[in-house]
Amino acid sequence: MSETTAPRPAAPAAGATTPRPAAPARPAAPASLKKDADSSIPSYPALVYREFIASLVVGVILTVVSVVVQSPLQQGADPSMTPDPSKAPWYFLGLQELLSRVPPITAGVAFPTFVIVGLIVMPYLDRNPARHPRDRKVGVLIFTAFIVFSVAFALIGTFFRGLEWKWYWLGILGK
Amino acid sequence: MQDTGRFQSGMRKAAQIPIEITVQLWKSVFRHGLPLTDRIATRTALTNYWLHAHPPRIRKSHMKFSYTFCLGGISFFLFILLTVTGLFLMFYYVPSVTYAYQNMKDLQYAVSFGIVMRNLHRWSAHAMVITVWLHMCRVFYTGSYKPPREFNWGIGVLLLLMTLLLSFTGYLLPWDQLSLWAVTVGTNMAKYAPIMGPQVRFSMLGSYTVGNATVLRFYVAHVLGLPLAAAIAMMVHFWRVRKDGFSGNL
Repeated sequence: MSETTAPRPAAPAAGATTPRPAAPARPAAPASLKKDADSSIPSYPALVYREFIASLVVGVILTVVSVVVQSPLQQGADPSMTPDPSKAPWYFLGLQELLSRVPPITAGVAFPTFVIVGLIVMPYLDRNPARHPRDRKVGVLIFTAFIVFSVAFALIGTFFRGLEWKWYWLGILGK
Repeated sequence: MQDTGRFQSGMRKAAQIPIEITVQLWKSVFRHGLPLTDRIATRTALTNYWLHAHPPRIRKSHMKFSYTFCLGGISFFLFILLTVTGLFLMFYYVPSVTYAYQNMKDLQYAVSFGIVMRNLHRWSAHAMVITVWLHMCRVFYTGSYKPPREFNWGIGVLLLLMTLLLSFTGYLLPWDQLSLWAVTVGTNMAKYAPIMGPQVRFSMLGSYTVGNATVLRFYVAHVLGLPLAAAIAMMVHFWRVRKDGFSGNL
């Protein structure tokens, strides 16, 4: 186990942060599985073990959370008593926030349809073969804008909307 | 003296039997011995029903946690956890406005570990929405949706949609004020569809307002229709991951 001292072929100069080769210079697919610095290992048990550990960690965290934090249960449903504000589940609150700003046909139908269809056809419209985010700035910009807006709207809907869907700063305190 | 020696060797042989049976049992399940060498490990993965969803071998660099963050795997684990806790909850839940809310109270106060199971189901569901969403972000930023994986990205988008719908249909089932009005607000959006709006909403609710018919519809979709659809989509999703190969490092 003296990997640190073993001579490695084509190792960069010690301590030097070698610049990455330009995108076209990289080989398309390193097909060879010959012994090199990045040799392959059997996925069992290494990968299986990691999946097991990940499941265990998530399972333990969720169990602890479930013992400590109670699920909300309000009064029994009463169709004659509309709460104000009525809020959708948090993952739809971005849409509800959008609904309060633009015409309903846009927010309730056009926008969700556009997002779902847009996401599905996106890989066919994206003609840029580069994979690194640095080499596809436009795509990254559009997607990041979508992520930022949807998260921001969901946060606004969750924490900053009170009576009659008016802006309410204290919503963040959960009151 | 001779008798003692025969007795001892007999005992030794007898002591071997449990070990032999254990080895036989192990080999009958895994078809190979302990994964002590690369060859045995690879062959075990290749010839095991549960393990063959994995590639038999994987590059060391592809094991890097900071590339996938295990998000897809965690999402799948949460789906399994939700199935198990959901089955437990089904024993105590009647999809009817007459009983649903009382069933929630029973889970809270009368059923052993009922409230923990309900909490686990609810928080896992929230977690799954987040991990599936983050998984999509990871796949986007690593450019892993590019050929030959465009189709599998589409399946993934459908899986995200199904995750949201699973969560939304489950939201109604406790039948408290929170569920009733969240689902009322949520389904009101469908009303705005250009031509069939009111009809779409009616077929979702089974009525003009959220009521008994809605609880039954959402329940059937939640425990049967959507999980089945999601499971089928997942089979295709994982199979394509396996066949298209791991997208690897940037």
